[in-house]
Amino acid sequence: MQPLQLDGSEGEGGGQILRTALALSMITGRPFRIERIRARRSKPGLLRQHLTAVQAAAAISGAVVQGAQPGSQTLEFAPGTIRGGDYRFAIGTAGSCTLVLQTVLPALWFADAPASVVVTGGTHNPAAPPADFLIRAWVPILRGMGVDMEVELQRHGFVPAGGGCVRATVRPCHALQPLELTERGALLGCTATAVVAGVAGEVARRELDAVASRLPQAQQQIRQLPANEGPGNVLMLELRHERCSELFTSFGARGLPAENVAARLLKEQHAYARSNAAVGEHLADQLVIPLALAGRGRFTAALLSSHLATNIEVVRRFLDVDMRTRAGERCVIVEAG
Amino acid sequence: MSLIRKVVSNFANDSTEPGTSSLIEFIRVIYLFLYEMKNTVAIGFLGTQLDFAGKGPQRWERWRPTVALCQQENLVINRLELLHDVRGRGLAERIALDIAAVSPETQVRRVEMNLRDAWDFEEVYAALHDFARAYAFDTEREDYLIHITTGSHVAQICWFLLAEAHYLPARLVQTSPSRKGDVDVGGSVSVIDLDLSRYDKIAQRFARERTDGLNFLKSGIATRNAAFNRMVERMEQVAGRSRAPMLLVGPTGAGKSFLARRVYELKKQRQRLAGRFVEINCATLRGDSAMSALFGHVKGAFTGAQTERAGLLRAADGGLLFLDEIGELGADEQAMLLKAVEEKRFFPFGADREAESDFQLIAGTHRDLRLWVAAGRFREDLYARINLWTFDLPGLAARPEDIEPNLDFELERHAHDQGRQVRFSAEARKRYLEFAASPAARWSGNFRELGASVTRMATLAEAGRITETAVEEEIDRLRGAWQADGRDQDACAQILQSAAENLDWFDRCQLNGVIAVCRSSSSLSEAGRRLFAVSRAGKKHANDADRLRKYLLRFGLDFERLRGAV
Repeated sequence: MQPLQLDGSEGEGGGQILRTALALSMITGRPFRIERIRARRSKPGLLRQHLTAVQAAAAISGAVVQGAQPGSQTLEFAPGTIRGGDYRFAIGTAGSCTLVLQTVLPALWFADAPASVVVTGGTHNPAAPPADFLIRAWVPILRGMGVDMEVELQRHGFVPAGGGCVRATVRPCHALQPLELTERGALLGCTATAVVAGVAGEVARRELDAVASRLPQAQQQIRQLPANEGPGNVLMLELRHERCSELFTSFGARGLPAENVAARLLKEQHAYARSNAAVGEHLADQLVIPLALAGRGRFTAALLSSHLATNIEVVRRFLDVDMRTRAGERCVIVEAG
Repeated sequence: MSLIRKVVSNFANDSTEPGTSSLIEFIRVIYLFLYEMKNTVAIGFLGTQLDFAGKGPQRWERWRPTVALCQQENLVINRLELLHDVRGRGLAERIALDIAAVSPETQVRRVEMNLRDAWDFEEVYAALHDFARAYAFDTEREDYLIHITTGSHVAQICWFLLAEAHYLPARLVQTSPSRKGDVDVGGSVSVIDLDLSRYDKIAQRFARERTDGLNFLKSGIATRNAAFNRMVERMEQVAGRSRAPMLLVGPTGAGKSFLARRVYELKKQRQRLAGRFVEINCATLRGDSAMSALFGHVKGAFTGAQTERAGLLRAADGGLLFLDEIGELGADEQAMLLKAVEEKRFFPFGADREAESDFQLIAGTHRDLRLWVAAGRFREDLYARINLWTFDLPGLAARPEDIEPNLDFELERHAHDQGRQVRFSAEARKRYLEFAASPAARWSGNFRELGASVTRMATLAEAGRITETAVEEEIDRLRGAWQADGRDQDACAQILQSAAENLDWFDRCQLNGVIAVCRSSSSLSEAGRRLFAVSRAGKKHANDADRLRKYLLRFGLDFERLRGAV
């Protein structure tokens, strides 16, 4: 089969195009060749976190890969059959476990046997959605589409120390149910969680107080972790609606006041609250592949981000599916079929 | 290729236990084989300062070069050879654990290397050289990086030299911390491949710096004498690499003191010396004052020692001490100097507590010290200590090709000192150089004499021009001085030969004078009358001929022999 040609510098121009291509290539069995990977970035080519995703994809699909080395701007990926089983992947530089899971889990939905995947590395990395986001927001929507999957956070891992662990179990299915997610429904509840490891508990308190000043209805929760899992601090806000849940995240950093951490979180929450969409920016990115695999359905997103547009473009290249976007009332409608 | 692909694919698909990490490993090994991807191996010292950031979680907020090397987004270290000493083992083990957390791809191998002094060039170089020779480099399958950010600067230089000389088939890698305000603690890395042409520039710079050092020692005088140039080159190497004593042997005026000062300035420029340049001619030191001048004294050490004196050795602490005419040093001073050179410690005169001084020693002499050692006049052990680097400075007469560059240098110096530029006319210059390089020019005062000669001509030059007439005048002056020299001043040496060396300068001066008078007298009696003209006036019986004969006899000489020797 002729490999599909992709230009890695197009669209979002980062790692997203590669991850989406890997997932779709495994599922469709279509090899691909990507050039100019991250060509316009300051450190061009494949970085270690991308390599881990490539190696993980190669492992579950018995793929033959060419160009999988740091800094490489060209990669060829020719998948074999997706196999279930027990997998373990270790990610360097506290790279995100969730990005690797998002690459391999869609393929494992269609594997020949149940699978478990243990990924060690960063579970809460500012460059990616945290493990809690997968568990609270992404997995429930996919269950609704017929996917039998669980994700469990076993140990937190922050940048730069890493050491976190996430375990996912999947039972394969034959096909996905169409996705219909155009509105979020009534708010059932919301929870603000401040996680601290090797950082003063007072930081968590101040972050939650700042959230409470704007969202007094939010339940408050402090996750005080053993110091050796740190240093790390993250503030999360889970919004549970009738139709779906969203989870927003803001990371603490040295020299950044707790109140500013909360302010960033509230800004995201506010943008979402003002829109009419069912899902926010990051969750929307992760629904493109399921929607495309289901073949029909729609969801509404708060905005048309470059990640979203890139994902849709890659989907169009791999799958014979009509996927389009159009403007809705204070939202973007993404439709398939 | 396609066959192997199929095999890999089949293996992956037919495996009864798919998804194990050994499968990933298998696939990776096949890739390495198929696509000639090499493993990256880093070698580097544990940074006892930089890599240490405590045991608490806050260590992750500090930039630790060895950890950072394995934390790079665009570089995977498959194996790290971590060099450390026995005291660093605990830290090395902790660092290895942290690397395992952030870089699961990296296998850390601890290599114990115990250096007595990580700043000792010779020891570090030898240790790393041994390491490089013993290491089983597999350049077919592995790429090597030498991490130079950790370890002493000496280690860094040794790595560089070993890589440049290809003892290490490796590229150098440097890690640096993030810029302030950047949250990423991993910082960045840069790989330096010494084989790349742009590093020629560095090599050229080194070469230029060396040439600069050579020029500096020669004061920018483009000397042409091959033996002299070789000597200066060697001196520059020694000055750059060693603090061992040096011995400069050469006639007076050959530039010993001048070169010693230049060595000092060169070393100071290169930050190898921080202290002062201290210079003393040992021929001027005698008795108690010699001890005290060199080693200092305590208050009341001897009559007249009313206050404490630090002495020249202590003044030269951290600097350079130039002892000219070291052969003239007395036995006690020699013994104390040996102790000071060997132990950097000595007793000031009259003190019961030792003083310390760490100085670079340069000794000068115009004598053949070996003969003095044989004659028991110079300590053999002290000679052995200062004879490690001996430089023979030829006199000006032995370097005729260097007269011209030195002439220009002296003119330049005169212009600089007096603010007045003086030039030779072409004919005058030709005439002077001809004479200066001829056998008739003895240059017994060497470069000092040449300098004086140029100064005379320059001072007398009308309208900044040295004419042929002025040159002829100067040539006559020099001839006259050398004639006097040859006949009278050095008559002792001429007649007594090596026996003259056993005479005090005091006696030699007298004898030279006496010889000069005898030579210009027709008889012993005439010479006696001239020599004792004052005292004979008060005497009833003039016995001056007898006095002179007895005087000469003391040196084994007689009047006839002196006359005959003319």
